[in-house]
Amino acid sequence: MILADLSRSELERRLAGPGLRLRAGPVVTQIQSLLGAVADGVALHYAAHPIEDSDGFADFFVRVDRPRNLRRWLHPQAVFYIDGEAPFTPLPLDQAFPLLEWGLNWCISAHCHQYLIFHAAVVERSGRALILPAPPGSGKSTLCAGLIHRGWRLLSDELALIDPATSRVIPLARPVSLKNRSIDVIRAFAPAAVLSRPVHDTTKGTVAHMQATPDSVRRAAEFASPAWIVMPRYEAGATAALTTLPKARAFMEMVNGGFNYSVHGRKGFEALARVVDLCACHTFAYGDLEEAAKLFDALATKS
Amino acid sequence: MSDGPRPSITRALRDPPALASCNLRQWEALVLEARRTNLLSRLAHEIAERGLLDRVPPAPRAHLVAAQTLAQAQADAMRREVKYIRKALARTGIDIVLLKGAAYLMVGLPAARGRLFTDVDILVPFERLPEVEAALMLHGWFATHHSAYDQRYYRDWMHELPPLRHAVRTTVVDVHHAILPRTARLKPSSAKLLAASRPIPGEDRLRVLSPADLVLHSATHLFLNEELSQGLRDLADLDSLLRHFGDDPGFWNELPQRAVELDLARPLHYGVRHASRLFGTPVPGAARSHVECLAPPPWLDGIMGALHERALRPVAPGEPGLLTPLARQALFMRAHWLRMPPMLLTRHLMSKILRVDRDGDHSRASADI
Amino acid sequence: MTFREWNGEIVVFNQETGSTHLLDEFAGIVLRRLMASECGATVEELATALAYGQEAREQQESEQAVTAVLAEFARLGVAHADAS
Repeated sequence: MILADLSRSELERRLAGPGLRLRAGPVVTQIQSLLGAVADGVALHYAAHPIEDSDGFADFFVRVDRPRNLRRWLHPQAVFYIDGEAPFTPLPLDQAFPLLEWGLNWCISAHCHQYLIFHAAVVERSGRALILPAPPGSGKSTLCAGLIHRGWRLLSDELALIDPATSRVIPLARPVSLKNRSIDVIRAFAPAAVLSRPVHDTTKGTVAHMQATPDSVRRAAEFASPAWIVMPRYEAGATAALTTLPKARAFMEMVNGGFNYSVHGRKGFEALARVVDLCACHTFAYGDLEEAAKLFDALATKS
Repeated sequence: MSDGPRPSITRALRDPPALASCNLRQWEALVLEARRTNLLSRLAHEIAERGLLDRVPPAPRAHLVAAQTLAQAQADAMRREVKYIRKALARTGIDIVLLKGAAYLMVGLPAARGRLFTDVDILVPFERLPEVEAALMLHGWFATHHSAYDQRYYRDWMHELPPLRHAVRTTVVDVHHAILPRTARLKPSSAKLLAASRPIPGEDRLRVLSPADLVLHSATHLFLNEELSQGLRDLADLDSLLRHFGDDPGFWNELPQRAVELDLARPLHYGVRHASRLFGTPVPGAARSHVECLAPPPWLDGIMGALHERALRPVAPGEPGLLTPLARQALFMRAHWLRMPPMLLTRHLMSKILRVDRDGDHSRASADI
Repeated sequence: MTFREWNGEIVVFNQETGSTHLLDEFAGIVLRRLMASECGATVEELATALAYGQEAREQQESEQAVTAVLAEFARLGVAHADAS
C-alpha cells in the first residue's frame, strides 16, 4: 500500500492519532502531527511511498506540532519531536514541512551508523551511482533535481548512504529541497516536476520541496554501485566541463563531507577507500542545466 | 512496598536469549526504550556477546549494529582524551583519579562494554585545583559557564570546576575535588577516597577508586544527581560493578562498612535495592541484611521507594507520562536539597528559571542541516 | 598505520588521533622510500635519493624538504625518528 491509497481523512486520522508509518528506502518513520501543513506536505511528497502497518518495525518516532507552552498562542510555531524530546529550536508554523524534512535528515544522520553517511546527492543510471558531494553553494540540489528529470533515478539529494561492507549506495528517494533561484530554474527546466508551495524567510531563504519521481520511489529497494564522484560548482555563464580530480583529493572531499565518517574509525577509512577505488572522480563546472544534463548523458554512455 | 512493573529493557538485559521469541512490534518497543534510556549499545553488546546478533530480525538488528559502532567510536575517543589529559597534567606531578566511565574503560571493567561515554570526570585534591585548571587551559581547554552566578555555583557550592571544553576537540573534562558538593548534607571524605585509590596497571599517573568506592560513587551519583533521566543507565552501571566485584567474597563484607565510613549508607541502600529489583543483581544473604539496616525510617522509605520506582521507569511511547516527570521533579528537588541547604536552593532554582527566560535555551541546536 | 595511494598521492589514517590526512607527492615518495628501506633511512640518504642533481645546493634543499616532511610525519604519527 502506498500513501496515495489513503483518503485524506484517513491520512489525517493516522497523523492525529496512532501515527502514519512511512517508508523511505530502508527507513520506516512513524509520523504524528496535528498540523495541516504537515498533512499537506506529506500527502504531496510521499504520495508514492509505501505505508507500513503497525505490526511491523518503525525505526523512528517523530512528531511535528505546536510547542506545549504559552508561546503557542503568541507566535505560531512548530516543534520537531524525536522519541519525545525536542532537540531543535522551534520554527514558524508555516515551515512545518521543511522542519519535518530537516528533522528526518537529522534522525538518519545521527543514528543510522550501520551505513557510512555523506553529505552528497546521489543519482543512478544502469545500476551505477553518480555521487555529488555538496559543499554549500555548489548547486548540487539543483543539478540533482535536474538530472532526475533527464533519465537519472534519484537515490538521495542530501544523504548518501553507503553500505560499508558492499560499497553500494542505498536509496532513500525522499523529496529534493530547493532554495531561492533554483526553484524557478527547475520549474522552467522540468515543467512536469511537482513542487510544494515555496516557504519564505527560512534560515536558508526561500525553500520548496520537489517530489521524488515515482520511478525513483518504486525502485527504492534497488541499490547501486558507485561509479562516479563528481564535485559540482555552479557558475553563471560557465561552460559545462568535467575535469579529472585526483582520487586522493576526492577521498578527502568525501571525508570533509562525512556525517558519521569519524564514527567508523579505521573501518570507515578503508570502506571509503574501496568506494573511491571504484569511481572515476571529477570536478564539474556548469552554468546551464540543459548543457550539464547532456554532459552527464555522455559520461554515462562513455564509461 | 509495591514492586512496580519492570521495564522491558531490564528484562531484555537480564535474559537476552529470551528475545528470540520477540515479534517485530516487541522489538520496536524494546529498541525505542533502549534508546531513550541510553542502554541500546549495552543491549547490543549483551546480545552480540552471546552470539545471538544474527538471530535478531534485520530491521532491529540495524539499530543494534549502529549502536555498537557508536559505542566503539566513543570508547576510542575516550581513551585518546584520557591520554591528552594525562599529557596536559604531566608537569603538575599530580596523580589523576579517573571517575565513572573513564575509570571503567581504562581498567577494562565489564561496565565499560557497550557504554556510551561523554565527558571525562577526574578527581584531584582540592588544594591542587588552581594548578590543574591552569595546566588544562594551557593545553587548549577553556572554561564554560561564564556568568558570575555559574562560576560561584560550581566553585563555591559544588564539588567541581565548571566543565572545561577543549577548543579544538570540543571534548569536555569535569574536574572534581569531591564526589558530592560542599553544601551537601552527606560528606564523603575526598582524602579517604584518594587514599584508597589504586594505580591503573600500565598507565602512568592514572588511578581509579577502590572497588567499594567505585560502587559507592556510582550509587551516590545515581541517587543524588540532578539529572535523573539517566537513572536506569546509571543503575545498569551499578549492577555491572556489583556483579563483577561481588565475585570476591571479601567485597560484600567491606562494602556496607565503607558506606557508613564515607557517610554514603543511604545511597548504597537505595542503589542495591533498586539494582537487585530491576536487574536481579545477586546480593549474598548476610550483605543483604547489612544493607537493609542502612534503610531510612519506614515512613520516608516508603515515599522514597515509590518516587524512585516511578522515576526509574522510562516513559513508554504514547504514554502521556504525567506521573513519571513529576516523580523525577520531586526527586530533582530532593537531590538538590541534599546537595544544597534550603536558602541556597531557593536562590539557585530561582536563578536558573530567571536565566533561562533571559538567555533562551542554549543547548538546543538549529534544525536545518 | 593505515594508508592508501592513488597516483602518487597518499591518504593516511592515524589511529592515535583518529584523524585522516592527505600527503602530497613529495611526502608520498619519502614515505615509500622509508617503507622500502629495511632499517629506516637517514635524512642524507633520503635527500640524496630524491635530489635531481649532485650539486651541494640541491642536496641541501632536498635535505630541508625531507626534514620538513619527516617532522610532519612525526606529528601525524606516521613515522618517528630513531636516535641511533
